[in-house]
Formats: sequence, C-alpha cells, structure tokens
Amino acid sequence: MFHWLLNLFGRNRQAGGPLKKPYPVEPEQEDRVLSKKLDDNKQVLAEIFDHCGDLVTREIIIGKQGSTRALAVFLDSMVSLETLEETTTEPLQTIQVPPSGVTMEWLMEAAIPNARVLIYNRWVDVAGEITKGLVAFFVEGQDRALLLYAPEIVDRPVMMPQTESVARGSLDAFNENGRLNLALVRKRLHTTRLAVEKVDIGEVTKCRINIVYLKGYVYEGLVEEIKSRLHRIRIGGVLGSGQIEELIQDAPYSPVSGIGVTERPDRVVSALLEGKAALILDNDPFTLVVPTTLTTEMQSPEDYYNRYWFASFIRLLRWSSLMIALFAPAFYVAVTTFHQDLIPTDFLSSILSSHANVPFPGMVEALVMVMAFEVLQEAGIRLPKPFGQTIGVVGAILIGQVAVTAGLVSPIVVLTIAMTAVASYTLTSLNLSTGLRLLRFVLIIAAGFLGLFGVMAVFTMATFQLCAVRSFGIPYLSPFAPMSLGDFKDTFIRAPIWAMRMRPQGYVEPVRQDLNKPRPPQPRQ
Amino acid sequence: MLFIFLIFEASSAILYTPARVAALAGPDSWFAVSLGDVFYGLLVLLVAVALGKRFPAQVFTEYLPEILGKIPGKLLAAAYALIIIHFGSLLLNEGSTFIQLTLLSLTPPVVLDTVLAVVAIYGAYLGIEVIARENGMVFPVWALMVVLLLSLAAIDLNFSNLKPVFENGLLPVLRASSFHGGWRGEVFFMLMLYPYLNQKHEALKTGLLYLGSVMILAGTVHAVIVGVFGDLVTAPMIFPFERLVRYISLGNFLERLEIVVIIFLIAAYIIKLAVVYHSAGIAVASTLGLKNYRITLIPIALMAIILSRVLYGTYLKLSNYLFHDWPIEALIVELAIPALILLIAVIRKKGGAPDAQQ
Repeated sequence: MFHWLLNLFGRNRQAGGPLKKPYPVEPEQEDRVLSKKLDDNKQVLAEIFDHCGDLVTREIIIGKQGSTRALAVFLDSMVSLETLEETTTEPLQTIQVPPSGVTMEWLMEAAIPNARVLIYNRWVDVAGEITKGLVAFFVEGQDRALLLYAPEIVDRPVMMPQTESVARGSLDAFNENGRLNLALVRKRLHTTRLAVEKVDIGEVTKCRINIVYLKGYVYEGLVEEIKSRLHRIRIGGVLGSGQIEELIQDAPYSPVSGIGVTERPDRVVSALLEGKAALILDNDPFTLVVPTTLTTEMQSPEDYYNRYWFASFIRLLRWSSLMIALFAPAFYVAVTTFHQDLIPTDFLSSILSSHANVPFPGMVEALVMVMAFEVLQEAGIRLPKPFGQTIGVVGAILIGQVAVTAGLVSPIVVLTIAMTAVASYTLTSLNLSTGLRLLRFVLIIAAGFLGLFGVMAVFTMATFQLCAVRSFGIPYLSPFAPMSLGDFKDTFIRAPIWAMRMRPQGYVEPVRQDLNKPRPPQPRQ
Repeated sequence: MLFIFLIFEASSAILYTPARVAALAGPDSWFAVSLGDVFYGLLVLLVAVALGKRFPAQVFTEYLPEILGKIPGKLLAAAYALIIIHFGSLLLNEGSTFIQLTLLSLTPPVVLDTVLAVVAIYGAYLGIEVIARENGMVFPVWALMVVLLLSLAAIDLNFSNLKPVFENGLLPVLRASSFHGGWRGEVFFMLMLYPYLNQKHEALKTGLLYLGSVMILAGTVHAVIVGVFGDLVTAPMIFPFERLVRYISLGNFLERLEIVVIIFLIAAYIIKLAVVYHSAGIAVASTLGLKNYRITLIPIALMAIILSRVLYGTYLKLSNYLFHDWPIEALIVELAIPALILLIAVIRKKGGAPDAQQ
C-alpha cells in the first residue's frame, strides 16, 4: 500500500544475477549427449547422480538367448518395483529378439507394454526425467535412452474439500496429484476445447503448472499473458500456489491478489466456462483461477445448487456479513469513544454502566479482544485435532466470561467481536478473509483516533486501492467499478440460471445460453 | 466522467450554500439554484468543450502557451496551477470544517486536513481512472441515500413556506443565482479533464446531462430545505442539509440519520479533492515541463494544508470567502478567462478545427 511513497523517491533497484542451473547437469554440459557404449553411459550416470543413495542401476540381458546388455536406472523411492518387474524387466528377459537386433523402435513398439514412453538422447533430459520418477533404459549400441512410467502411488484419495464445504453440491476436491486434478476437471468437460498447457516453474523444484482453459471461450490474450508472466519467473524453487500467486499477481504490493484460490473442481469448471483460465498445480490441492474479481470471491459454489430465491438471500447475507466483519469493531470503537450521541439513550446508559469498571478506552478493549480472537483462531488451526476442543472451551469460558467478570473488557465488546468472528466465517474466500482481518485492525485504530471520520478515510483509501487493482486486465471491483448494471445479476443476488443469458462484460463469447426459461404446458381452457 | 462532476456538485454545493441562497432568495431559492444558474453553467460548459475540442489531447495549462505565446502562456498556466491549488485548499478547509463542526469537535483541524489530503493524494497518485471508478461506486449509493432521505424529510414539507413566488421580483433571485454560480461553474474542470474523457464526442452531452441532473438535485434539495424549515430558519444555519436530515424522525427509531449524510459527504469530499489535486498536479507538471505529475502531489498537498490553515483558519474567514469573494473569482476564472482564451484561439487559428478532431 505504501509503494506509491517509495515510487515517489525512485524505484527500488532490480537485483540481477545468474541463477544456479538445475542440478544434475552443469550448464556447460547441457548439450552433452548419450554415448553408444553402455559402459560410458554408466560412468556418466555415476558422475551425475553422485550422491544419490537411492539410485538403482540394474543390468539385464534382453531376450531369452540374447546377448544385448541393457541398463534400467531409476530412483528407488519414486518407482513401483512391482510394476517395473511385471511390465518391463520380466517381459524383456523372456522376449524373442528379432534378427535385426535390439533397436529403440523395436523396444518401444513390440517389447515394452507401457502406455507412455519417451525417448531422449541428451543427458539433461534423461537425468531430468529420472528425477521425476521415470525409469530410464539404456541399451548397448544405442545412443538414446528409453524412459517409461512406473510410478509409486503415494497419493491420498480424492477427499472432501476442507475449506469450501457445501451442503448441496459435488463433494470432491483437488489433492496433491496434478494428474488427478486434471482428471477431475476433464471429467466435467468432455470437449476437445479444453486446452492444457504445461509449464515447469523453479530451477530445482520444476513445479508443474497446467494452464487450463477452454479454447474459443477464454478471454482474449489471457493465456499469452499468463504464460509470459510465468516465463518471466526465474527462481530456485516454488512449493505451491501461494508463491506462484505472489509472483504473477498484477499489483505486487496489494493486500488482495486478484487471483482466485479454490480446491473445488466444480468451481474451476464454472470459471473456465466464463472464459477464465485456471492454473492447476502438482503438489498443491489449491488451484489458481484468473481473472478473479471481488464478486467471484464472494460467490460460493452452493449458490448455484440452491434455489435462486434462497441463494440470493444467502448472497445478501454474505455481503452484509462482510460489512459486519469489517466494520463492527471499528464502529463500536468510534461510537463509544466519539459519537455517544448516536446511541439511543436507553442503550447508552446500559453501555456506560457495563463500561464503568473497565479501565481501558474502547480502542484498547477492541484490539485486545480482536487479538485474542486471532490468537485463538491461529491456535485452533495449528493444534492437533484432539486438542481442538480444549481451545474451544478455553476460548469460550476464559475470553468470553472471565474477561468480563475480571473487568478487563465490557460485555458489549465481547458481543461485537463474537459477531465479527461469526460473520467472517461466512466468507467463502480465504484470500479475502485474510485481507479483511488486516484491514479490520487498521480500521479499529483509525476509529480509535478519529472516530467515524477515520473509518471513512481508511475505507476510502482502501477502496481507492482496490479500484486500482486489476486481475489480468479485469478491474478487481467490476461490475461495481466500472459500473455495468447488466452484470449485477450475479453479485448481490443470484438471478435464476435461465435469466443469466449473457456472460459478464469483457469476455469473448458474450452469449451464455439460449432462452431456457421453463415453459410448462398451459392447462386447456 | 458524469459521475465525477456530479460528486463535485454533490459535496460542497448542497452543504454550504443553501443557507446563503435562502437568505438571498427566500422562498424562491429552489429557482435560483436550478433554472437561474443553469445559464451560467451552460456558458462555462460551452467554452470548456469548445476549447477541449480544439486541443483534444492536451489539458488547459498545456495549450495555453500555444495560444498565447510562450511566456504569457506559461505565466497564465502557472496562475491557473496556483488557482487550482488554492481551490484545493479551500475544499480541504470546507471538508475539515464540516467534519469538525459535525463529528469531531475537539480534534485539531490540521489533523483532519492532513488525513483528508493524504487520502486524496493517494487517489490522485493512482490516477484519474481510479478516481472515476471509485466515484462510480460511491455515487449511486450516495444518490440513493439522498433520494431516500429527501423523501423522508419531505413528509414534513409545508408548501406555504415556498410561497409567495417571486415576491420581490426576479432581481434578488438572480443575485442568489449569481452567487451560487461559482459552484455550478465547477464544470470548468472539464478543461483539465477533457483529454481523459473516454468518449470525447459525448463531452457536451455529458456536461449537459450533468447540468440537467444537478438542476434537479439542487432544486429539490433547496426546495425541501426551505419547504421544511422556511427561509428565515434556514438562513442562519451552517449546514442546512445536515440539519434537515437530523430533523427526520420516523416511528421513533429511525433517527440521527445525518450520520449517513456525513459519512457519504466525507467520501464525496475526498473524491472531489482527489480530482482537484490530480488536476493541480497535471497543471503544475505541465507548467514546469515535468513528465510525471506524481512527484508534484506531496508539495501540492502540503501547500494546500498550509494555505487552508493560514487563509481560512476560522469558519468566519471561510464563509466570508465562500460567500463574497469566491463568486467573483469564479466568474473570472471559470468563465471570463477561458472565454477570452477561446476568442484568441479562434482569432489566431490555433488548434484543430472543432469538427476535424473526432
């Protein structure tokens, strides 16, 4: 938020330097190719995988009576030995070798039953694939290596979403397996338009990112922009979506990123249908969706499973919860500190009497309570499950009851903070609620010093900032700013599905559907 | 862009002026601020749009040297930069005075000035597009509130307060409009905003729409205020609109609604300040030949805060300036000089022909 001050005094300098090239192959050896002699290859392998204790090099003879030596190389930890034995080593040792001898083509076409195989002749590729868990086959007299998949399955099964649970709707969630994540999306979109582009990020981690979008639907120039931003990243390692998000977001200093995070495949699919693109990651159950606006962050997938009357009600409820979660403590502080005349007289006397033996001003009270709430929340996440209840009891009794009887805070502030806490849990987006938690502190402090004026000043500043944020070209606050009334159908309310004929402004394919309004047969007169 | 101008009017004009207008025009103040003013606003708008069409890619202070020659042009541009900064300080003072009198009576006004200025230059720093978006978001809510509050207040409207019509003839009414014209003439900021309009050929239409809607808005506000309070009660008030809303009481629980007005007026002031600082920044930058206006914002804000304290330290000084000097200054700055410049531009054939520049 303060980058504009920094910018006034000259931009911070870019630090550039050579990054470490990927282990195992040194940069000057990138073009090094395989040799035809198996022993030479073996030596290079030993050189490259110098300290890898889990590397297995297994020599076999191909064919029942043959004499062609071959070498299977793999990392023990990543490969399923059973599959390898069943599908490769055993058939190879028993197969009849043709008179033309063992060639790579023959191996691939006739000898090895695996569905996915690759052939490489540069060491950098071969070594790279081995580190990904593939099995490399070197054959005497061949200067190429055959790589095949025999992965050890170490994934957890598809489970229920942890952060975005719904009462009605599909209940599968992404997990750490990128292949499976893609499958969950493909399962819902049986079309050749579903495009998947792969990018590996991180010199060492080689984190696989699948850029997924629907051809013909996707927002113009979006995919190119995503790719150019991803290719700009030069970094040793990234572990997951959070880092990628920070590296590609539009406004680097903004508390909101303008990038949606979800672990629900149905949410990803509906985003794709709206012309957005998703970044599905390996090793991270959270998928990034771009572009994302404030309204999308406020939507829950359940809104589309419920009846639209009820869904609209819930939407409105969620928006008011957002307001409560943001403003309630600040409003309490402002009103009790500066604007007592705003409170009805009867209520004022009860507030004052409850506040009479509290030694602190409203701001300190509210800050203490909000801090206590944040600490409880953080502890609740970190604690092992069995202790969770302890925290609940401690939180409820100590903070709620004893703090009041001890005269540390007044009951009204406990009520306010409790309301705030409950309201903030109605929000569906993790990203949004974290930003909100920070803004809440700022608002409380502003209210403590300048009352409602301070609240308004901070809020205006924050909305200025939000107005400036774009998410891959789409203004974060659209359709509120810039205003487009037609798109309000899916913001505060959720219009009936058949009424949402058009997509939001800016997407390539404007028409979402035909006239689908249900028309039951009329009774005869 | 329309919204920007609307918020301009919305903030200060309905806040400070109704009392004075009521004092001058009595029961006819609604006429003074709506129909009486519109001609003045129209003139300002026509001049501004005509100049803008001649130089569609530049702001006023940029093409002044082209029209007047280098040195006189630069001098006038510098003068305009100072005028806009002064206008910014005036607004700042209006805002902080309002907040001090209604919300925070014990806070030093310089603190309020500073907070307002910081938020506003943040907006100005982010650029006119962001301000316009913010405005587009705040304004509809604001308008809805005003309509709601006015209709609640209009329950107590007494039509006899609005009679007799034109008791003393047209003259006092026109005097009131001429006094109020300075606010209506704020449409002259079109001179500084023209290059940023996204649909330039609609500049005139936008301006007319603005004048029309403001006519209705100001007329209604003044009519309701005077209709509820009567002109004699209204005249000595400081913020009649705020008083009017405070007066609303519905079913014994819908009370103290003025807080809504105050909150939205704060937002409106901040946005208006942001626009003015943005224009001031552009004006200073183009006068000094700087490429980036952002660097000028902090000095401008400092100047505005200091000027606001030094020139208008008390409400008396502020109202004196607002009600006596500003209307005359506005006439010169908003209408006379730009009209003269336009005339010179036409005679010296500077800038593109109006219709060749679409």
